[in-house]
Amino acid sequence: MSGTSSFATRRSLLVAGLYALSLASLAMAAPALAQPVTGGTLIYLEQQAHTNLYPTAGGFYPNSGILNQITDKLTYQNPQTLEIEPWIATSWTVNDTLTEYTFKIRPGVTFSDGTPLDARAVARNFDTYGRGDKSRKFPVSEVINNYDHSEIIDDLTVKFVFKRPSPGFLQGTAVIGSGLVSPATLDRSFDELGDATKIIGSGPFVVERETLGKELKLKARTDYNWGPARLAHQGRAYLDGITFIVTPEDSVRIGALLSGQADVIRQIQAYDEPQVEAQSFLIYAPSTRGVNNALVFRPDNPLVADARVRKALLHATNTQEIVDTLFSRHYPKATSVIASSAVGYEDQSARLAYDPQRSKKLLAEAGWQPGHDGILARDGVKLELSIYESLPQPQSKAMLQLVAQQWAQIGVRLNVLNADSGSIAVDLLDPLKTPVAHTMVGRADPDVIKSNFHPANRDVLRQKGGLSDKIKSFVDEALNGRLEAIAAETDPEKRLALTREVQAYIIDQAYQIPIFEEPQAFAAAPHVKGLAFDAVARPSFYSTWLDK
Amino acid sequence: MTTPPAVTNAFSGRGSGHLDRLRGASPGLVLAWLVIALVVLWAAAPALFTEYSATVGVPAEKLRPPSPDHLLGTDALGRDLFARIVHGSVHSLSGALVAVAIGLVAGTMLGLVAGSIGGLVDDTLMRIVDVLLAVPALLLSLSIIILTGFGTINAAVAVGAASVAGFARLVRADVIRVRRSEYVEAAFGSGGTYAAVLWRHVLPNSLTSAFAFAALQFGSAILSISTLGFLGYGAPPPTPEWGLLIAEGRNYISSAWWLTAAPGLVVVAVVLSANRISRAVGRSTP
Amino acid sequence: MSRYLISRIGQALVVLWAAFTLSFVLLQALPGDAVLIKFLNPDFGLSQEQIADIRASYGADRSVTAQYLHALGNVLSGDFGYSIQAGVPVRQLLAENLPATLRLACLAFLAAVVLAFAVTLLSTFATFAWLRSAIQVLPSLFISLPVFWLGIMLIQIFSFRLRLVSVINPGPWEALILPVATIAVPISAPLAQILMRNLDAVAHQPFVTVARAKGASRAFAFWRHVLRNALLPTLAIAGVLFGELLAGAVVTETVFGLNGIGALTHKAVGNQDAAVLQAVVLFCAVAFVVITLFVDLASPLLDPRLRSKTGAPA
Repeated sequence: MSGTSSFATRRSLLVAGLYALSLASLAMAAPALAQPVTGGTLIYLEQQAHTNLYPTAGGFYPNSGILNQITDKLTYQNPQTLEIEPWIATSWTVNDTLTEYTFKIRPGVTFSDGTPLDARAVARNFDTYGRGDKSRKFPVSEVINNYDHSEIIDDLTVKFVFKRPSPGFLQGTAVIGSGLVSPATLDRSFDELGDATKIIGSGPFVVERETLGKELKLKARTDYNWGPARLAHQGRAYLDGITFIVTPEDSVRIGALLSGQADVIRQIQAYDEPQVEAQSFLIYAPSTRGVNNALVFRPDNPLVADARVRKALLHATNTQEIVDTLFSRHYPKATSVIASSAVGYEDQSARLAYDPQRSKKLLAEAGWQPGHDGILARDGVKLELSIYESLPQPQSKAMLQLVAQQWAQIGVRLNVLNADSGSIAVDLLDPLKTPVAHTMVGRADPDVIKSNFHPANRDVLRQKGGLSDKIKSFVDEALNGRLEAIAAETDPEKRLALTREVQAYIIDQAYQIPIFEEPQAFAAAPHVKGLAFDAVARPSFYSTWLDK
Repeated sequence: MTTPPAVTNAFSGRGSGHLDRLRGASPGLVLAWLVIALVVLWAAAPALFTEYSATVGVPAEKLRPPSPDHLLGTDALGRDLFARIVHGSVHSLSGALVAVAIGLVAGTMLGLVAGSIGGLVDDTLMRIVDVLLAVPALLLSLSIIILTGFGTINAAVAVGAASVAGFARLVRADVIRVRRSEYVEAAFGSGGTYAAVLWRHVLPNSLTSAFAFAALQFGSAILSISTLGFLGYGAPPPTPEWGLLIAEGRNYISSAWWLTAAPGLVVVAVVLSANRISRAVGRSTP
Repeated sequence: MSRYLISRIGQALVVLWAAFTLSFVLLQALPGDAVLIKFLNPDFGLSQEQIADIRASYGADRSVTAQYLHALGNVLSGDFGYSIQAGVPVRQLLAENLPATLRLACLAFLAAVVLAFAVTLLSTFATFAWLRSAIQVLPSLFISLPVFWLGIMLIQIFSFRLRLVSVINPGPWEALILPVATIAVPISAPLAQILMRNLDAVAHQPFVTVARAKGASRAFAFWRHVLRNALLPTLAIAGVLFGELLAGAVVTETVFGLNGIGALTHKAVGNQDAAVLQAVVLFCAVAFVVITLFVDLASPLLDPRLRSKTGAPA
């Protein structure tokens, strides 16, 4: 397994993305009937405080919500077509072996500290992201692999050279993790970059003031004139500023929005949607286009090592009831391993049917017999599993209790646990403690299935040789082989076929019980216009304006 | 670090004066005992009060407002809220009892030993108590829960441990007061062994205020366990512990206010009653 | 007196050291660590080796003793280390959060005192007997409410329904109204109880009876004697209330989304941000020790009866 193959994947998926219909971009749907108005400050309520704002840490939602406004990227990924379009780079060339990328930089772009955004600055950014910097504690970016070095051709032309072919690099320049920052920011150490005021970007907004853990004020750069070339809106942002306020309480965020104290909130729960819509406020639920919200098994635990047991649990899970009870139309029932808007999706719903009778049969075949307390047992061992509540997932605790109730009907006990993040982090590495886990991955990365399941990446199944050293024997070479094959395949058509095949394989093995396609749910006041989201549901306020 | 006796007065309710006494057989006190009796009955025989399950709901009947079918409505998973409150009383009451028992027993031991032996032992024990007071109780409780795992009893232990210092100071002050009293001097004078005097005279006379404090702590233990639930350190689901019901119900406040209001009112009633009884216990002190 | 003072300060230093050590031991005993919690987050996409590198860069791979000595040495030299979760030095976190919490706590304490006096006065001077007894129940009611619940209710009613105050982006004073009320209500309860009890006791003392016989009003007796007598116990429970204030701040700051030591503590516990927690523990211990010392030294000045007994065990 190498990064090279994963890049091949990314490129071919991008090509595939051209054909893919974007279902999710509600964002762009807001028709600009009225003329945009410049001015005003938008109040945005965020659930959690940001952590370190070194751009490669931009995967974390609170971080990306900020970074997306203050940094620009070399290229722009169109959220509808997933195509890569010019932004700070006006054009680019790639050599045949995909080891050299040359970018022409747009002239006249400056960071907010006045430093020119030229070839030298871009080279410095990618040298840091691509290689990391131990002396400053900068980690290597997960989207830039096999990076060798940069060459400055002239003031506005920079070339990146890779040790091996790097077909995914182009898309890698469009993600939040590759936001361009001033050399002054990169001169600091990682330890200083939790302070947003130290992040100097070239974006449409700059950090004006910050109260750590509470509030962040952004103000528009009036000289900004280098937005993505394809956007209808050019020039400065319409808004004068944005105030991010950390408001952890769900009830306070929703109440503040509805009482007119806030304009946009992130993370609104499905049970609050009716009252939001009743007052003609808007709900935005862009898809994260990744691996669905799901329960995954760790087959190293003997209780779930048998595929028949996993299949029984899959058919005992009534996802329709879960979606109907706890969620809304913004949370479509899952029909495969990945979301229906993700590239390479294939409908597997026929094999995900709720069928408790079949579950009982499968468990009986596997040798599990009802004990005197109604819980299935085999050789004196009860079929009793534990799972941790997953804090980032919407209503995880309620959902897992409902699953426990459903599994109890076939004689399986599911204990829903909660703990501090330290214990959870440790226990999640041990399949004996966590035979099942509640996860999802929303990433722009087109080879998101491989990211999720491969032991060298997120390793959700916990294979031997992966993230955990507590695994005794479980390895699925057949799965890993398939994942690597997808990553190595450069022909887009073949690659889609392989992607479909691996979805079928994962469902066949019942490694995962897909529940629903997880969106990022935002709500906004009716006067907020032109709210946009990028390909992975991160908000962009560049073209947003207030109609009031 | 010494604390003037006034502190103990503040909490134990000793020295309540005429105004209280004049009220005589207070209807408030009767009501308080009735409330406690009712929740104890809930804990002992929940099936007498509700036929619904506390843990298994009917998903299709989620978030129903209060009605004759569901007296206090249903939660997001279609579980009857009244049933959850009734079944939850055993968790909340036993949690509060454990918390108080830990504080009372450990605190009394510490206070008794420190107050009666005195000298270096007293100094050392009281400095330990100071350290326990100096580390914020909430932090201490959270660390204990993280160490011992999440659960009603664990949370109770954590809350109890945080109250040890308060009990220890109270009992120590009383022990010193009692020891100096004439009849204890007399008991020593008439040849009683140290331990015997301690056991027969000092301990019983030192405990009244500790018991009054315990009744007060009972109420605040329920609140503390609830606060832990709010901060995300409560018992694992689907335990219908009262504090957790309030804490989890709060998210629905704008769509289903009864989910947090009803258990909140039950807790207020129980804590009020415990405080009322605490005052009555305190008043019986000489 | 000065020998007494020196010995008290010595004892206080021992308590501080013990509190620091206790918190260090507790934090070490907790499962997982801040580096694991922050960087195992899949959003960082880091491998095990990279996490190990990061841990080494924070010195979290050294022996426990070495870490303890390092932390102790740093604290002695005034360096509180670096918050792994927030990505800034702890000193900066304290500087940004301490003033907010101090302001909140001081105002809440003041409000609690005012509220306690109001309740006490009404419970004594209200026109109707039923009103007086209803008011006498108030302190008990005040400590029967879970603080977070009170906060959420206040927000719902006063901000979202009545729209009297805003909680999002409010003015500097407006921002404090509801949080101060949330903390002050439970804190006022024990104060009001003390005041009522003192009033009760003093009202029946011979000198008051004499004063009243001489024509002084009840109000005069109240102000003249009760207040003076209430000062000492109020001061005495200040130390205890300080702990309550911090717990109240944790909850209130979380509910209202305010920054401050409380919210900082809550987050730091969740993320096992050891450096932050140790700084908070140390800060609280210092505050506790100083308040207790102050109360012990001030009490004899306020009440001559205690003067001869200074230093004697209570």
